[in-house]
Amino acid sequence: MIDRRVWCAAWVLGPAAWAAEPVPAIVREVRRRLADEPVLRGAFEQRKTVKGFRNPIVSRGEFAVVRERGVLWRTQEPFASTLAVSRDRIVARQADGTVTRRLQAQEEPALRAVTQTLFALLSADLAGLAERFQIEGDMDAQGWRLLLTPRDPALARWLRRVELEGDRFLRSARLLEASEDATLIRLARHAAGPALSAAEEAQFD
Amino acid sequence: MTEPLVSAPKAAVQPLAAAWPWRAAALAWLAVVLVVAVHQVRFWTAGRLDTDVMALLPATEQDVALTRATEQLGQGLQRQIVVLLGAPDAADVRRAAAAWRAQLLSDKAPLGEVEEQGADGAQFVAFQRRWRDRLLTPVQRERLLHSPGAALTQSALAQLHQPGASAREWAGDPLGLGSEWLLARAGQSKARPRGDGLWVTGEGAEWQVLRYEIGGSAFSMSGDARYGPALEAAWQAARREVPELRMLAVGLPLHAEAAATRASWEINTIGWGSLGCVLLLAWLAFRSPWPMALVGASLVIGTAAGLSLTAAVFGQVHLLTLVFGASLVGVAEDYGIHYFAARQGRPEVPQKMLMRALLPGLALALSTSVLAYLALGLAPFPGLRQMAVFSAGGLAGAFLTAVCWFPLLDRRPPRASRFAAVIAGSLARWPRAAGHPGVWIIAGALALFTAAGLVQLRAGDDLRNWQSSPRPLVEAQMQVNRLLGMPSVAQFYLVQGASAQEVLEREEALKARLDPLVGPAGLQGYVAVSDWVPSLARQREDAALVARAEAQVVAGVNAALGEAIARPGPSVEPLTPQAWLADPVSRAAGRLWLGESEGRWSTLVLLQGLHGRELLPRLAETASQLPGVRWVDRSADVAVLLGRYRGAMTALLLAGHLAVFAALWWRFRSRAWRAWLPTAAASALTAGCLGWLGEPLQLANVLALLLLLGMGVDYGIFLVEHDGDGSAWLAVVLGAASTWLAFGLLAWSSTPVLHAFGLTLMIGIAAVWVLSPWLRPPPRVPP
Repeated sequence: MIDRRVWCAAWVLGPAAWAAEPVPAIVREVRRRLADEPVLRGAFEQRKTVKGFRNPIVSRGEFAVVRERGVLWRTQEPFASTLAVSRDRIVARQADGTVTRRLQAQEEPALRAVTQTLFALLSADLAGLAERFQIEGDMDAQGWRLLLTPRDPALARWLRRVELEGDRFLRSARLLEASEDATLIRLARHAAGPALSAAEEAQFD
Repeated sequence: MTEPLVSAPKAAVQPLAAAWPWRAAALAWLAVVLVVAVHQVRFWTAGRLDTDVMALLPATEQDVALTRATEQLGQGLQRQIVVLLGAPDAADVRRAAAAWRAQLLSDKAPLGEVEEQGADGAQFVAFQRRWRDRLLTPVQRERLLHSPGAALTQSALAQLHQPGASAREWAGDPLGLGSEWLLARAGQSKARPRGDGLWVTGEGAEWQVLRYEIGGSAFSMSGDARYGPALEAAWQAARREVPELRMLAVGLPLHAEAAATRASWEINTIGWGSLGCVLLLAWLAFRSPWPMALVGASLVIGTAAGLSLTAAVFGQVHLLTLVFGASLVGVAEDYGIHYFAARQGRPEVPQKMLMRALLPGLALALSTSVLAYLALGLAPFPGLRQMAVFSAGGLAGAFLTAVCWFPLLDRRPPRASRFAAVIAGSLARWPRAAGHPGVWIIAGALALFTAAGLVQLRAGDDLRNWQSSPRPLVEAQMQVNRLLGMPSVAQFYLVQGASAQEVLEREEALKARLDPLVGPAGLQGYVAVSDWVPSLARQREDAALVARAEAQVVAGVNAALGEAIARPGPSVEPLTPQAWLADPVSRAAGRLWLGESEGRWSTLVLLQGLHGRELLPRLAETASQLPGVRWVDRSADVAVLLGRYRGAMTALLLAGHLAVFAALWWRFRSRAWRAWLPTAAASALTAGCLGWLGEPLQLANVLALLLLLGMGVDYGIFLVEHDGDGSAWLAVVLGAASTWLAFGLLAWSSTPVLHAFGLTLMIGIAAVWVLSPWLRPPPRVPP
């Protein structure tokens, strides 16, 4: 979840500096429409199309977005693994629970930009995203579409464009990377879920 | 009564014969004084004052590589000020920094902002990509050595399927080595370029890092600080913009400026304070303007001569030399005071006769003082040598002024004053050891007190007893070091070898020993050239390790996903120190590379997060077990050196006492001990008092006792030479009082080494003052 390109962005990315700007009207509208649940659970399908790969890389699993805590991204197919993303930390685990990666923004402050962006994307935290992206969009009775372009050239070296679609919930996110890889994430079966179990909570540590 | 005075009328019949050489000497001295005056004007306009506190310390007996290491580490620091502006919100900091810059620009302070030129992230990535299979962190090497291929494949598959990870990047680095290695290297400094300068995050704030280079000298002649107030004004301006702004300012120029401002204040207090006291005493004793004017002139000329001599010998003058030299006023007045005291006592004797009679005693006093000061210069401390030359020159100048000019310029003997009469008369009533019933009880009590104090005396050769900086500056420095994660430059390893590769291999052996010490309880980390350029042997091993693991992982992923991705190619050529030095990324650690000198290659390994002293013995031990690795602890080295010179100077002090006693024996024979013993006893008593006060015994105390030998013996000499003469006693009292005041003022200095000097002499001179008359010869039976 962090490679050299992301590192390169993180090296120069500071905390978002545009917080003072007013949030665009469309973002305020979408936020009003989005359900605000303390814990939101659902299922995802992620499809990465990569130049040089014959087949798209597809994975499926469940997610849980916990307000102010973080996002738990549990891949079940084809390989079980867990990714826990909070504002200042990313922890990746294998199926047996062993940690494969742990990135802490405390140790490397520049990583905070990466963890915050990933967290904001996966949890549809539009206020957080507005700090780093220029947001345009439109909406009708059925739903809304937002187009995000990075404000910071350093971030643009990693993400070229992000497209979000949804109604009461975020339904799909398309990430276009600078490397021309594209990732399409579809979310479904949204439900206000029970609070995190102790085992789930432990994934963040 | 002294012999020459009795024979005065005989000499008076041939005054013309005596006057000619005197006049010639006076004119010759006038010529010297004029040269000094011209030199003084030029010196003060040129402002060649040295303020570097470390200049007081000896040029340690280091070898070439260590000297170069020290120079390279200090390079650029001499003139650099680093400012951190911090607030929780980076946007606030940006606004504050703008106000800060505007204020500094409008200020006249000669501070130039240095453009930050850290390598950008893309350059680091390019470097890693070029030698990607030859750069491993210790953790990665462990993982590749011990994890089975299947586990590495599983981890790669999981990563490919996680959000945020680019699959394209994965194809170029299947083991994900790059970002980890880059993270490890990035951890070596926490400051990051963010387009508009360097930033660092920490302690609940975003900090902008501003770097300045100073334009002029840190010291201005008026003693007014320039950089401190300019930064303060800029801070005030920035705080009007952002009230919760925090500022940390550090840098050698600020330390130098603080020392200079303080020293300038001390020079004025001590110099003018003791000059005022001397003149007041002269006025009280002699009640005439001439003695005051002449004594004042001898002091001014003496000080100027000392300063000119020092500047001529050393090229520049250290600020602390001036502070120490200010106390010279209290010593150099002796000659003039002695003359006028004698003149007041015997107004009928012609001036030149009187001076001729006083000359042997004055010359002997001068030579013991000058010898004592020059003994200071035996220690190879540039600062001390300057103080020695300054004081010896100053004393000689004051002496020559008194001897050559006073008899010619002094027209009228000073009036008798009640003050002088009371002091002169007090000698007759002063208790005398000889024949006193309680003498052995008093002597025994003093000896007991001294012995008990000496038992408590502890040596303290710590560098901090030698110099000190204001606490806020030191604390800001520590905070900045923590925020920026800067490695310590006071303790480090020097690694040497016959070739660049041998040095890198030795570094790797050292790092293998250091790795277990890295952790929450120990070191935060280390910085070494071999982090960037592993030895060729290590590169070969790592490349083979990576080739094997990558082949397994790529095959495993291809099989699982039905792909036919090729393993990315290995690096084309091995990484050499030359290639690294030619790359912009070497700016991060290039100063650790000392290169080749006299057939030996050297590098430095610096340590991060070395806060306590508990780890130091282990770190030193680590070096002793490895060939070509040396542990350098500069403050400990300096302490050892100071301790060694303390020992040597103590021996010299004892030898000095013997030499002085021999000189006294040559003149006074069986009465010699009366001139010597007061000083010897006072020295022991002073050391005892230091023990009682809990002051550590350091080199400065021993050197002060050397001075005490030079000055204290003078009082004994005057009292034995002019036995029972009330005017000699008056001179001793006035002289001792002003010396005591001058060094007493020095004891208040906030520079620890000067405080030690002052305190030692303050106690010592008071003791000599009391003991000298106590041990004076018994009254002669009138014929």
